[in-house]
Order: sequence, then C-alpha cells, then structure tokens
Amino acid sequence: MKTYFFLGKGGVGKTTASAAWSVGLARSGMKTLVASIDPAHNLGDAFAADLGDRITHVADNLDAVEVNIDDMIRAYLDELSVKMKHTYSYMSAMNIDGYFDILKDSPGIEEYATMEAIKKFVALAQYDAVVFDTPPTGMTIRVLAMPRVSLLWTEQLVKMRKRILATRGMVENVQGRLEAQVDGETVVLSSDEKEDPIMQELVAYREELKTLKDMFSSDQSYVSIVTMAEDLALLETKRIIESLGKFRIRVHAIYLNKFFAMANPPDEIKGKMEEQERVVARMKAEIPGIAVKDIPLLRNSPRGIEALFTVYSKYLV
Amino acid sequence: MGRLLDSLKRGFRSFDKGMREDATSLIRKQLDEEESVFALLTMGAFSGLPSPPTGVLLRILPHMSREISVMNKRSAGLDDVFSQTLGTFDID
Amino acid sequence: MTALIVLFAAAFYIFFYFTYGKALERNVVRADGARPTPAYTCRDNCDYVPANKFVLFGHHFASIAGAGPIVGPAIAVVWGWLPALLWVWFGNLFIGSIHDYLSLMASVRYDGKSIQYVSGELMGKSSKYIFEVYIYFTMILIVAAFMGTYGALASKSPEILTASVLFMVAAVVEGQLLYKTKLPFWLSSVIGVVLTIGAIVVGFVWPFIKCPNIQLLYMFQVIYIILAAALPVWFLLQPRDYLNSYILWGGIIIATTAAVFAFRGFNWPAYTSFAARVISGQPSPFWPTVPLVIACGALSGFHSIVGSGTTSKQLDNELSGLFVGYGAMFMEGMLSTIVITSIGAFGFTVFQGVADKITAAGFDLAKMQTDAAYFGQVGAEVINSTDIGIGGALGIFTKSFGQMLNVIKVPVKLGTTLGGLWASAFVLTTLDTTNRLARYAFQELVEPIKKVSKGLHAVLADRWVASIFAACLGWFLIAKGGNAYTALWAGFAGANQLLASIAMLTAATWVKKVQKVGGGMLAAVLIPTFVLWTTVFVALVWFLFVIVPVTAAALRVILGGFVILMLVLDIWLMYNFFKSWNEGKQNKA
Ligand SMILES: Nc1ncnc2c1ncn2[C@@H]1O[C@H](COP(=O)(O)OP(=O)(O)O)[C@@H](O)[C@H]1O
Ligand SMILES: [Mg+2]
Repeated sequence: MKTYFFLGKGGVGKTTASAAWSVGLARSGMKTLVASIDPAHNLGDAFAADLGDRITHVADNLDAVEVNIDDMIRAYLDELSVKMKHTYSYMSAMNIDGYFDILKDSPGIEEYATMEAIKKFVALAQYDAVVFDTPPTGMTIRVLAMPRVSLLWTEQLVKMRKRILATRGMVENVQGRLEAQVDGETVVLSSDEKEDPIMQELVAYREELKTLKDMFSSDQSYVSIVTMAEDLALLETKRIIESLGKFRIRVHAIYLNKFFAMANPPDEIKGKMEEQERVVARMKAEIPGIAVKDIPLLRNSPRGIEALFTVYSKYLV
Repeated sequence: MGRLLDSLKRGFRSFDKGMREDATSLIRKQLDEEESVFALLTMGAFSGLPSPPTGVLLRILPHMSREISVMNKRSAGLDDVFSQTLGTFDID
Repeated sequence: MTALIVLFAAAFYIFFYFTYGKALERNVVRADGARPTPAYTCRDNCDYVPANKFVLFGHHFASIAGAGPIVGPAIAVVWGWLPALLWVWFGNLFIGSIHDYLSLMASVRYDGKSIQYVSGELMGKSSKYIFEVYIYFTMILIVAAFMGTYGALASKSPEILTASVLFMVAAVVEGQLLYKTKLPFWLSSVIGVVLTIGAIVVGFVWPFIKCPNIQLLYMFQVIYIILAAALPVWFLLQPRDYLNSYILWGGIIIATTAAVFAFRGFNWPAYTSFAARVISGQPSPFWPTVPLVIACGALSGFHSIVGSGTTSKQLDNELSGLFVGYGAMFMEGMLSTIVITSIGAFGFTVFQGVADKITAAGFDLAKMQTDAAYFGQVGAEVINSTDIGIGGALGIFTKSFGQMLNVIKVPVKLGTTLGGLWASAFVLTTLDTTNRLARYAFQELVEPIKKVSKGLHAVLADRWVASIFAACLGWFLIAKGGNAYTALWAGFAGANQLLASIAMLTAATWVKKVQKVGGGMLAAVLIPTFVLWTTVFVALVWFLFVIVPVTAAALRVILGGFVILMLVLDIWLMYNFFKSWNEGKQNKA
C-alpha cells in the first residue's frame, strides 16, 4: 500500500493537490481512497460532491471520506469513560470525572486522534493507495512525528513494566501467586508478561506504533509540500524538510501553486514575478534532490473529477 | 493425638508463611514503590509531571485501577514517609 | 550460676509480663479485642494486613534485635556483669518495654501512623528538618561505630573475617535461589542454612582471609558499604536479612542451651566500680552514662520506629499488642542477658587464655581477679588493646561465647566463629541499611540548596555522591578518631535514647490526654519518662564535657556539634511537651 501526504498552510491548495493526485492514481488503475483528516474539510468542494464520515464512491477506483476528528475524540473518551467507570467505580468519590476533563483538553489528544484515523485507513486492505488531505503544516508534522515520540514513551513504560513484573516474579517465587483486592474482587497479579493486561496493551501499542513509524519513513510513503513561490515560503519549506528529516521522513516533491505565468505581465505584478523566479531558482539550488514543480494560477478553481485530472496530468506528474 | 497433629500442622503453616514474608519484606516494598512510580508517571497530568502521549494513556488507563490505588495510598502516607522509610530499613 | 541467671531472667520477664504488662494493657492502653485494628480498617493486603501474632512477633523481634543488644552489653560489662544485668532487667522493665508497647499501641490507634507523626499531632508540629538533620548525624555515627566494632573484631580474627565474607557470598547465592529460580522455598532455605553453616565451618577450618591492618579493614568496609547500598535489595540485603533470622534464632537456642547446661560460676567481677573506665577510657559514672552504653536490650528509640512504622499495620487484634510489642522487648532483654551471662561466666577465661600478652602489655592479671576496682580501671583497655588482640567488645563476647559453647562440646574456635558471624552479620547488614538511609536523609537535607544553586544540588543529591559522602564521613570519624568506637557508640546510643525520649513523651501525652489515664498508672509512664529524659540530658552534658574534649581533634567539632544539637533538641522537646500538656489542662477547664 502506498500513502500520500500533501503538507502546507491553509489555502495553498493541499486539498486541490490531494484530490487531483487521487484522481490520477485511480485513473492509472489503482484502487484509491482519498481521506480528509483536516477538521476544516473542503474535499467535498473539490469533488463537487457531498462527503462525510462514511466512505463514499466518487469515481471508478476512487473513494473519498471526510473524518470528523472531534467526533472521534469524543467517541474515544466516551468509550474510555465507560470502561473506567466500570473499573474505577470506587474512585467516584474522588471525582475521576475531573480527569476526563483534563484528558479532553490534554495536549496531543487531537494529534493522537488524527494518528488513529490514519492508522485506521492504512489498515484497510482493499485499497492500493491512500491519499491524505491533511490539516495545516504544524499539526501534520506533529502527527507524523507522533509514532516516534510515542514509541519512546511506550518503550520506557514497557521497561518499567518489565521491572515491576520482574519484582513481582521474585515475590511470587517465594510467596506464590500474588493476589489483590480490586473493588471487592480478588484478582491475580501475574508476573507473566503475557498475562499482565497493561503489558499486553503496551506491547500491542508499541507494535502498532512501530508499524506506523516504519510506514511513514518507508519508500511507500510519499510526502510532498504544497506552497507558493514567495520569499517566506523558501525558509518555511526548508524548515519543514529539516524537521521531517529528524523523523526520517523524506520529502518527495515541492509544488509551487498558484504560479503566475503570463507572457507580458503588467508592471504591477512584475515585482511579484521576479520574486517567483528568484524563489524557484533558490529552491532548486538550496534544496537539492527534491523535484520542484509549479502549478499555475488557473482561471477557474478546479472542481470536479475532470478538472482535477487535468491538474494532475498537466502539472503534478 | 489428632488434635496435637493438627495444631502442629497449623503451627508449621504459620511458621512457613512467616518465613516467606520475612524473605520478601523489602522486595515487596520495592514493588510498591515501582508500581506507584508507574502510576504517577501515567497520571502525571494531575501532578504536573510530564505525562506520556495521550494515546498510550488511553490504552492502559482502563487497567490501571490497582496501580492508582497503590499510588493514592502512598501519597496519603507522604506526610509520614521519612519515618516509614526508617521503619522499613530497620536499624538496631 | 549461668543456668540460674538465665532461668531467673526468664522467670523475671514472664512474671512481669503477666503482672505489670497485663496491668498496662488493661489500665493504660485499655486494649479492646473488639476494636478493629488498622490491619483491618485500612487493609490493603500490602502494608496493612493482619498477621498471626506469633508470626508478627517473629518479624518484630527480628527487626529490633540486631547488633545492638550484643554490642552494648559487651561494652558495659566493664562496670561488672551485675550492673549491666540490672539495667537490662530493670531498664527494660520500667522503660524499654513500656516504650515499645506504648509506641506500638499509640500508632495502632492512629491508623498505623508512625510515632513521630503522632508526636506531631499531639505535641505540635515539630520541625521536620531538624529531625532529619538529627537522624542523619545518627546514621553517620552508626556507620562509624559499627565500622569500628567490626574492624576491631575482624582484624583480630581471620576466622570471623573469613566466615563473614563467605556468608555474604552465601547470601548472594541464596538470593539467586530464592528469587530467580523455581526451587521450592523450603529447599532454597535449607540450602541457605547449609551454606551459612558452611561459611562458619570454612572460617573455622581454613581462615584464608586475613587482614590484621584495621585501617585497611575500614577501607574495605567503606567500599563494601557503598557498593552494597547501590545494589538492588534482592541481591544481597534481603536474602542476608532472611538468613540472619536463622542465625538469630539458631544463636539464641544454642546459647540458651549452653548457658543452661554450663553450670559455671561467674569469674568476671560482679561489680567493679561506679565510675569504671568504660567510654573512651574515661571514668564513666554508671548513672547517668549507662544508657549511652546499653541501648538495645534495655531501651532503644529505634524500636518505636519499627513498632509504629511496620508492626502496627499488621497487628490483628489489640490484645495481641502486648505479646508482640512488649513481649519482643523482653525477648531482647533475654538476648542481652545471655550475652552478659556468657561474658560473666567465661570472659575471664578468655583473659587467662591470653595471660602472657596481658602481662606483656603491662597489666596485672592476678590483680584484675582480686581487685575489682582495678578491673574497672583497666578492663576496657585490655579488651580493646590491639597488642593483646581480644578484638574489642565483640571480641570478648564472641570468645566468651565460644568458651560457653565448648560446654556442649563445640570446639572453642568454632563456637567463637559462630558468635562472630552472628554479631558481624548484623553489623554488616546494619551498615548496608544505614548507608541507604543516610543517602536518603542526605538527599532530603540538601533539598533547600536547590533554591540557591541547581547545579550544586544536582551534584549533592546524586545517589552515589550521597552514598559515598555518608560512608566517607563515617570512615573519617572512626579512622581519624583513633579507633575510638566506644565514644562513637555512646554518641549513637545517646541519639537513640533521645529518639526514645521523643516516643516516651509522646506516649505520655497520649496516655494523659487521649487515654485520660490518671493516678498510679499514669505515674508508671510519667516517672520513667522523666527519669529517662533527665538521665539522657545529664549523660549528654557529661559526654560533652568529658568525652568530647579527649577525642581526636578531627572528631571534636563534629561530635561536639552533634551533642549540642541533641541537647538543644532535648530541651526543645521538653518545652513542647509542657506546652501541649498545659493546653490540655486549659481545654479541660
Ligand atoms: N492552481 C490553482 N488555481 C486556481 N485556484 C486554485 C488553485 N489551487 C487551489 N485553488 C483554489 O484555492 C482555494 C484553496 O485551495 P485548497 O486546495 O482548498 O487549499 P487548502 O486545502 O490548502 O486549504 C480553493 O478554492 C481552490 O479551488
Ligand atoms: Mg483543504
């Protein structure tokens, strides 16, 4: 399975690029899913179709979906709170609800949910390719970094848990199986990693994270940057490449969208056009090894399968 | 005769249990400590410690009730921790 | 005579257990079998869990009986065996056992909180920081004094040195067997006991580790302490603690048997002089200095920490408290009685065994036998002289112990090695735990430095730094202090008695204010409390003016400063006590 991410600020043309790209893939015969994980959805606009939480067929070989991250977070927390209420009933006295309020606003919960969404789609075996229409750059970078960061923590917790189980094992060797009273029920505290639910969760989670991390940095995952040919964009693009590099994620291509291309420009925009040229030149010189392509500013906003395919075939590949 | 044997058996069982406890007293303290540190780390959001990414938390939290109660117990005893520690590692 | 003393002591303790002890239970504590104990009310199956009272007695006794009940009496016999014995009997009866019992039961009534905590509740929050400073110094003194006693013993006895080193190896093996293999518990235990016996026998037959240089021994101990305290508890500390309890019970059973069958008169003087030269070679008046010499066995403040920190959480019934708290202290009195008995009956035999060396060192052995006052003057010097080589207080105990076991046909050297392992196993365990605690206390102490300098704090709070610092400070005290372990021991014992004063004052306040006990039974708590406080106070003043000036220059400032700190603490405690006592009166009115 191949995955595609288009990174960029709001309004630069991420949605347009990912939608066009997905149409191109589908036309080349790959079963493709295009998924918007940006809370500010406009994938539906690009396809001129009503999209939502359910996967919708939009063209031959092509499905699309808009994920509601907030709903996902709420669903997670609700599910958790049910589980917790069950196991933590004795704690009701100490306002465990307060903890959920903290979790709701806890830093990283959105990134977490976004990552979960990515995980969910990547796990769908019926597609050959998944194209993600991502939220603005900062958020997306954090999401892409997440598996690695979470992995560090998870590995640390696994280590601590191992120590606990080893200590438990020592006591167990002398005193026999340890038991504890939890909510009036007697539970056996196993020292076996396979029987300790926390260890099991940690190990399973670690494996999922590893898979995701490897996937993000594999050559099956294509990350491209969508931006505009402006002086500021150069610096920003370099920064993005650098921070993604830290997570071993390679950038595939840079698209300079809404590029002014005209034979005899009026004086008013001559300066702008000189800036464009300068930026293109510097990008090519200063960011070696990454293709830089421009997409001209079109007369009409590209909407619908055909328009998107034109963008794909004329400018993206 | 049967009763004597019975009480002997019971006596031996207490002795055996006592010796087993004797052989693990400090290790059990250590276990307690480790479990409470584990809980403290995962519940760090409460105490201002850096807490692990939410994802990890959401996965393990439902299984953590015992660890959290260990931690609560330990923090309830924090006002007395110095003496407790002295008592654990007895001097004499 | 040996049998008589031991049997009399047993009868003495049993009699008072059922009379005085029961009266305390009924009228002071008012133990109520129907009132649930913290083991039930706060039950968590971990710290708080009800234990069978015999099992709990075993735990509690093993915790309170360390090297203390052996070392103290073995130093005190220079006053003669009788004063030492009387203090072990009556000090124990009138102060020590009450102290242990009341601190246990007060803690039981306060949800298993420690007596130091209860003291804060009852007598106003005393400054935690001062308590910690004080505990820290105490730890350092323990490290120094125990290094000194062990050094004096092991440098003169390759048998004991070999046995105690091998025993450490045995403990490590035992730890592996117990915790890292699936061997049944009884089998690992049997192997552990066999290995322990093996360590003693090898030490006896083939004492291959020799180190007559005491300074070198100190250094080895420092290295040992630092490394041991850095190891996880399961590796050495826990399994050794476990094997120690076999040594303890084995030692007590063998020693009692030997003492009962010895039928030997005492050749050690019953009484030498009131101011025998006991501490640092200075004339030490029996009152008030005896509590600076005999702590455990008669009265130890550390018992209140064990009793109120651990035991109180496991007591299954208030009516078991007397047996566990009070009974274990009597048991410790029995242990000290046996130590004194063995020296009383066989100590002089040990002297006679090295008669030529004693004469060569310029002492008159014949005169020692006939002139008790002379014995009181030179006894400690003979015991501690490196030329004579008895090996200090532990040396005279272990050698007498060996002689006593010879009565039941154990070779003298083998018995000596057994006694030596008994004492040194406890000393080495205490060194390990004390350094752990000192490290912890130190980290607490340097906490305020964080505000001044984060970098400095990070360095000081490092566990290795804290550990090395404590060990080296102890080393400095004993090595630079000219091997004067009796002075350091007295400092430690003084700190210990001060701790006991805190517990006793707390207990008295509890008895009066909460239990509302009056009359004779209140006096039974109040009088010992004041006697103790006064004795310790006078003893510390004596120590400051008599012992501190004659110690080595390097020691003077540290030891003197610590004694002054203790005196200040002592006065401050009394002040707090009266303040809260009067508050109680006002509330009533
Ligand atoms: N090359 C282009 N020429 C003309 N309009 C464009 C071009 N690329 C994008 N647009 C329009 O710009 C707006 C923002 O683009 P969009 O793809 O939604 O950006 P993003 O997803 O990054 O917010 C949309 O209305 C889109 O149709
Ligand atoms: Mg968009």
